[in-house]
Amino acid sequence: MKTGHQIHLPLVFGAAATLFGAGAAHAEGIGAGTLIENTASASYDDGTGPQTIDSNTVTVKVDELLDVTVTSLDSGPVAAAPGAEVHTFEITNTGNGPEAFKLTANPAVAGNDFDATVSGIAADTNDNGTYDPGVDLLLTGPATTAVLEADENLTVFVLVVIPADVADGDESDIELLAEAVTGTGASGTVFSGQGVDGGDAVVGLTGASGNALGGLLVGIARVDLVKSASVVDPFGGTSAVPGAVITYTIRAETAGSGSIDDLVVSDSFPAGTVYRAGTLALDGTTMSDAGGDDAGEASDTGISVELGTVVAGSSHAITFDVTIE
Amino acid sequence: MKKITLLIVSAALFASATTAPLAAQEQPISLVGDVKVEKTVADEAGQPKTVLVDPDLVVPGDRLIFGTDYRNNGAEAVANFVMTNPVPAAVRLAPDADADLTVSVDGGASWGTLAELTVTAEDGSTRSAEHADVTHIRWTLAAVDPGASGRLQYPAIIR
Repeated sequence: MKTGHQIHLPLVFGAAATLFGAGAAHAEGIGAGTLIENTASASYDDGTGPQTIDSNTVTVKVDELLDVTVTSLDSGPVAAAPGAEVHTFEITNTGNGPEAFKLTANPAVAGNDFDATVSGIAADTNDNGTYDPGVDLLLTGPATTAVLEADENLTVFVLVVIPADVADGDESDIELLAEAVTGTGASGTVFSGQGVDGGDAVVGLTGASGNALGGLLVGIARVDLVKSASVVDPFGGTSAVPGAVITYTIRAETAGSGSIDDLVVSDSFPAGTVYRAGTLALDGTTMSDAGGDDAGEASDTGISVELGTVVAGSSHAITFDVTIE
Repeated sequence: MKKITLLIVSAALFASATTAPLAAQEQPISLVGDVKVEKTVADEAGQPKTVLVDPDLVVPGDRLIFGTDYRNNGAEAVANFVMTNPVPAAVRLAPDADADLTVSVDGGASWGTLAELTVTAEDGSTRSAEHADVTHIRWTLAAVDPGASGRLQYPAIIR
């Protein structure tokens, strides 16, 4: 837009006067408000003996540098499923004076397969690195950290909710932005009188803002049960006649990613058949028919096998025999 | 009583008021220190340009120039003129400082060019001295003639 462009031009000229050198700092710089005093002294001989003299003392007050970094503390994408998940970030005040930072979490990052919903940002109040609901303080409106001293860091948690309609393998990033409360801008931007002890505050190389991404990877496991049967009749054939033995195989295939907890596979004996005691087996290993001693159990009416936690990609085979009456 | 008291007070005033200025007047040498900060600004063509400005705004990493003007205001030459400048702890000598400067890295106990000096660690091992180790800078002039003046300065980076 032309109008907008015309408004912008004076700002560009203003920026030309910006000091470039201001931000060439180390993270562990001399603290804001420090007085640097320099005095020279001289000794000489004026013919009457040695003399000494001091110069006046010149004093420079160190102004406040505004800098911040944000780092994801997640070891990789957070394994996620529909529901609540937590991202962990670290905010470090890399400036040289005390400063608070405003935090903004953006769940709509370009390239996301889906966007989570941010439900809150919390500070690690008890400093244990893990989000503890009700203990770790939720930062509200707008989320702002406590004042961090120079070089102090703070662990924060971004709480997100993953929608129900995500698919296995979907990925999504969350961006956490931290901005100095005093202000942000191009390196060298000055906030007059807003630094420590009435000094100036100057934006450092980070622009007084930092951001980092935290990833989510959706893992949804799915179990497929496939049942098959083979028949051996008393005459050596495969006819389903009275006296024939049917061997059932139930194959439990876990697909997708992640894992499934407390998986129990159970089956009822077909009418007109009788279970052949001692034939229940898991992956080729016979189990007792009694309950409680191992994973398997057989009753008058059916079998039940507790597979417990199964990870995606695993496969288990349950077999048992019945006799046709 | 009153008169005596007044007399004593005025005598004391006279003594204290005259001693210091008299001593200063006797000094033929004057030292005047100043400090500037180097800033890189964009000139009208947008090119970066280095300028020295008053240190109204300084932050860690900035480059300061500490200078001292000396002058012999007396009628006689002075000899063995040695000016010493302790380097403030909050700054380090800039890496591009004159390599021929006479410096100390041990609080003024021993002197030399930086290349000649070593630093001894707590475990007894030694290493070459670096710019950040410099604690004092010293300039030596054999004589300063009447009316002669000059300027001695060093660049420093705010830690």
